Amino acid sequence: MPRARILGIFACVISTVLLAVFGYYAYILNDAYSISNVQKIAAETYYAVAVPVGMVTIGILSTGFWVGMTILTIKVAPPMPEIVEKKDNSKFKAFLLCLVTAALAGLFIYGVIQQYYLAIAIPATVITLVLLGMVFWVGVAIITARSTLYKEK
Amino acid sequence: MKICLMSYRGNPYCGGQGIYLMYLARELVRLGHEVHAIVGPPYPFPIEGVTYHYVSNHNYFNVKDFVKPDKPFATFKPLNFYEYVASRFGIFPEIETFSIRAYEKLKELSRTHTFDIIHDNQCLGYGFLLIKKLGIPFISTIHHPLSIDRTTWFEYPSSFYLKMKRVLYYPLLMQRFVSKRMDLIVTVSHDSAREITKAFGVPLSKQRVVYNGMDSEIFYPMNGKYHKKEKNSLIFVGNVEDRKKGVMYLLKALTLTRNDVNLTIVDGGAPNRNFVPRWIDKFGLNDKITFTGKITMDRLISLYSKTQIALSPSLYEGFGFPAAEAMACELPVIAASGGALPEVIGEHMKTGYLVPPRDPQALADAIDFLIENPKLREKMGKEARKRVLHTFTWENAGREMEAVYREAIDAHS
Repeated sequence: MPRARILGIFACVISTVLLAVFGYYAYILNDAYSISNVQKIAAETYYAVAVPVGMVTIGILSTGFWVGMTILTIKVAPPMPEIVEKKDNSKFKAFLLCLVTAALAGLFIYGVIQQYYLAIAIPATVITLVLLGMVFWVGVAIITARSTLYKEK
Repeated sequence: MKICLMSYRGNPYCGGQGIYLMYLARELVRLGHEVHAIVGPPYPFPIEGVTYHYVSNHNYFNVKDFVKPDKPFATFKPLNFYEYVASRFGIFPEIETFSIRAYEKLKELSRTHTFDIIHDNQCLGYGFLLIKKLGIPFISTIHHPLSIDRTTWFEYPSSFYLKMKRVLYYPLLMQRFVSKRMDLIVTVSHDSAREITKAFGVPLSKQRVVYNGMDSEIFYPMNGKYHKKEKNSLIFVGNVEDRKKGVMYLLKALTLTRNDVNLTIVDGGAPNRNFVPRWIDKFGLNDKITFTGKITMDRLISLYSKTQIALSPSLYEGFGFPAAEAMACELPVIAASGGALPEVIGEHMKTGYLVPPRDPQALADAIDFLIENPKLREKMGKEARKRVLHTFTWENAGREMEAVYREAIDAHS
């Protein structure tokens, strides 16, 4: 069997297994609808939700940190003095961005280890709001778009 | 050979990559190969013997009115939705999504075509890792690493927000990851090859340098009474908003020249042009500079013929088409020694005039020197054309590319 096909099957099997594991721990092990106190759910159930949320959160925070670090460390020739109109404080802002993203990442990891509900609820809310906001934006664009084609089309 | 070229933007008017695709495809057809091209919008003009396969996109990055009346829900397709979301965060997703769509197109084409080689034109998206699994030799041309565009952008004062946008815009991590996994990398100058090694970690042994060509049938010196050289005339061709073109240094140089000069800027009518005009005002150069906006090729060649000196003050060029075009039109070119320009210009004071990059005084001195030495100017222009005719032809590029293809195919089998 060609290597590409094997990798394809591997990817399908892994993703299906992960989906099943997620579904089991998030919704079956504890009845998701009857959870009234997060402390009462199994640790596996908590992590089933925390791991995917955490991956996205850490991905976003790492990107922010990387952006800050790039601005902070990039080495470039100084600009012509004539075109410098005001003091460039972007390195300071980049440092702040690194600091804030690192602090948030630390806080998030601590929260997840302690199994705080808010540690996953806040990032999940932000991610959901961004995605729903995007969908809403597309919806508005569809509603306000031209409803007919131009004649020449 | 049955060759599949790929370019995420195919039109020659959208930049160097479109020009490259057009001439390379034409030359490969002339050499007797069967040439297909998978292209993204804006699409290229048809070329005899080349079969185009179109890969569309919604251009979310540039278009605000993105909903098409006939396909209102197209944005909700996964790839489109990703492109849409990424573009709203300042990321340039076109390269990545093109690579995935090109994979789908290639899979579809593989039912009816058996390609000997696939040749990408500076895309290097993650989708290429899937294309590699098709088992066809796969090479890519990198004109220059985009890290240079990012670095030169950072040389100019700008806000933190703009810098953040620039960092997110360039897909450098992806291109670094993918370029190391290609069978071979083709690049257009030795300087560019060194930069690719530095930026992407691709060893020189995995790179082949094939110089671009120049269409000397299109770019030639026009003579006659309608093309008399205008006194103290200069020309700059390029996108003025592209920071690596070094336009600010040119503007400063114009304030330092002894001679009263007139500069014509041919920049394709950049829609977001705002940086340079502001500085033209501040330097008090309004009466010395004319913007032509977007012009036809005939008009450009006519302009070259009426101008005394061409300028290419770039901080970096992977090759430098405008410098080679001007040389083909027998114009002496004053170029900064940034990137590959010395390779294109050739010998200083013989086939062109080289100055250090970021040095307005040297640029001003060079302008004055050539204005005050008309005989040398004329001689330099003639030598420049000779160099272009000898070194930078698409015939050479086609033949050398053919050899690279054979090498990649042999190594693969």
